[in-house]
Amino acid sequence: MDHHFPLNESPITYTQNPVVTGTSVIALKYRDGVMLAADNLASYGSLARFKDVERLYAVGDFTVIGASGDISDFQYTKHLLDAEMVKEYYINDGHVLGAPHIYEYLSRVMYHRRSQINPLWNSYVVGGYHNGEGFLGYVDLKGTTYKSSSIATGFGAYFAQPILRKIVEGHENTLSEEEAIDAVDKCMRVLFYRDARSLNKFQRAKITAQGVEITQPYSLDTEWSFGDSKIN
Amino acid sequence: MDAFVNRFKGSSTFLADEISMLDGFGSYDAVKEFSQPVFEIPAVQNANCTDEKSDSECRIKIEHGTTTLAFKFQGGIIVAVDSRASAGNYIASQTVKKVIEINPYLLGTMAGGAADCQFWQRELGRHCRLYELRNKERISVAAASKLLANMVYPYKRMGISMGTMVTGWDKTGPNLFYVDSDGSRYKNDVFSVGSGATFAYGVLDSGLDYELSTNDAIELGRRSIYQATYRDAASGGSVRIYHVEKEGWKFIGLYDVGKLHWEYCGL
Amino acid sequence: MNPVDFYNETLTSVPTEHGFYPYESNGGTALAIAGEDFCVVASDTRQSNGYLINARYAPKAFKMSEKAVLANSVFAADGNALVRRLTQRIQWYKHSHEKEISITALAQLVSNTLYYKRFFPFYTQVLLGGIDESGAGVVYSFDPVGSYGLEVCRANGTASALIQPFLDNQVEFKNVQFDDKPRMTLDRAICIAKDAFTSATERDIYTGDHLEIFIIKQDGITIESYPLKKD
Repeated sequence: MDHHFPLNESPITYTQNPVVTGTSVIALKYRDGVMLAADNLASYGSLARFKDVERLYAVGDFTVIGASGDISDFQYTKHLLDAEMVKEYYINDGHVLGAPHIYEYLSRVMYHRRSQINPLWNSYVVGGYHNGEGFLGYVDLKGTTYKSSSIATGFGAYFAQPILRKIVEGHENTLSEEEAIDAVDKCMRVLFYRDARSLNKFQRAKITAQGVEITQPYSLDTEWSFGDSKIN
Repeated sequence: MDAFVNRFKGSSTFLADEISMLDGFGSYDAVKEFSQPVFEIPAVQNANCTDEKSDSECRIKIEHGTTTLAFKFQGGIIVAVDSRASAGNYIASQTVKKVIEINPYLLGTMAGGAADCQFWQRELGRHCRLYELRNKERISVAAASKLLANMVYPYKRMGISMGTMVTGWDKTGPNLFYVDSDGSRYKNDVFSVGSGATFAYGVLDSGLDYELSTNDAIELGRRSIYQATYRDAASGGSVRIYHVEKEGWKFIGLYDVGKLHWEYCGL
Repeated sequence: MNPVDFYNETLTSVPTEHGFYPYESNGGTALAIAGEDFCVVASDTRQSNGYLINARYAPKAFKMSEKAVLANSVFAADGNALVRRLTQRIQWYKHSHEKEISITALAQLVSNTLYYKRFFPFYTQVLLGGIDESGAGVVYSFDPVGSYGLEVCRANGTASALIQPFLDNQVEFKNVQFDDKPRMTLDRAICIAKDAFTSATERDIYTGDHLEIFIIKQDGITIESYPLKKD
């Protein structure tokens, strides 16, 4: 039999661990489209290493991906998606990759890499606006995918997701932009209070029929003197 | 006919790519389709990920636990098996078919990994059919069992688990072989395989006689499996019995051990 | 401290997660009941990871042909990958044979597809329900590496140990002491499926949110949706 099996070969070993990492990404659907938010911190273990990293990235005119996890893998993914957009543009048939297509592509890449036991160590949120409605999907290092009207990665899954679900579930088509911004700010404030690897410097993205808008980094006012004010 | 055989014989010269699958499914070879892990990870490379004893949170459970037996007597061969499949503590099924009908003249039994037995005995059936087409006569039980042993041998120590008896009637008469995934292949007049085999042997050996009548032989097989299901937690369900005769195998019946229990109590 | 030492110290001393386990359990339950001339395949739509609910609507039952529905549970990513592979193979079958694949052939295809990944399995339990060539309802169930068998009723997934005994009793009349054994009608099958899921939702944290019931009959497949408790 001329088949050969890996038992006879020296095994290939991959798999790293995340080194420079980003924390939670939160996202929700609202009346006009989808909104995402993430802070600008890239941590090196417990060290707050880079404070000007943008973790929300626009792919095409109607899609934004938000990344948590390994920043270098995120940078690789950005190149990958950009290359794919250029390839599609070059065909020049008028077809543009929308949010569902980018999400599908990214999911396949992530599942493929996990199947090689060489994962891209990230959790991604893909937000977009396609065919007249908002799109919001999640994909992570194991290739697990789901779509939902609100998504939060990392610590956000514990702290932000309950807040988002309470505000969003059943109100996807009525929630105004102001209400969505309030929800995002509420979540990001809680995350800054409780997540030790977070930063009070965020960016927010909205994707609507008008396209993508990503804000400049901004801060939220915080109150740390609860004990004093409540007791006295 | 040669063209027909060639179309389905399977070739080792092509790679397992989509092209060969699109090619009218012509040069089909099950072995080529395997996706091999190209990395080393303990949970994936070896048997651990499909071993219910490995203590991992996401362990994959496959069905295990069995009693099967077969023995020769003057009327041919009796094959009797239980029908339980357990995955860990859970009884996954009470209606498993542990006798695999390879073709009208060959039977295989199933112990160990259910999928391993099913897949390779189906593959054996395909090879036996090709043998018939090439040689214009039926394959012997000895050759068929050796075909099975040789097919699984390259996968030794990769986690395949298969303990099977191959039986049938060929021009040498009734034949009974034991083949397992370690590469063993034995010929004998009596075998019992599986977690309940010791219990079955106890009854079987004490009652076995080559001159047994067919009815008595069937009863011995049934009683042996019943006693094994009584003492072995991983065996149960129903007793399934086949009789291998000159004209091929014959299905004798399916007997719920719950009902057998009350029958045997009365004795 | 020089940069190299800093790098080594930090990397080795920080308790980082190491080793990558390619599987996870996303929970969920599916069941199938075969009738004389119909088949019912039901599954919840919750996707979880540990104590987190990922999504309330992430379906795991899919229409594979006009006469077959496949439901899978455990690892959602593998389940979806399996369904995609099968969908492609079913399409190839259609083009090369100029007919739709029968459920008998589809069952063997599912089995082979699972077994070809014997050494790096799809971590999924598969249920295949539908109508066979003679028009009778059939259910096939598979283990993660492709062993399969024909069945009358089957529950898979996190609540399988809760539901299967109920189905054995109500569908196959196992351990029933009286002689009144009603015929399995479509209405009765749907009722049993609903009861099984509402009860499983009470006791299994991985089952809930929505129930999707596929009804497979000779003249096509219909889908019914029902809410389940979301706690």
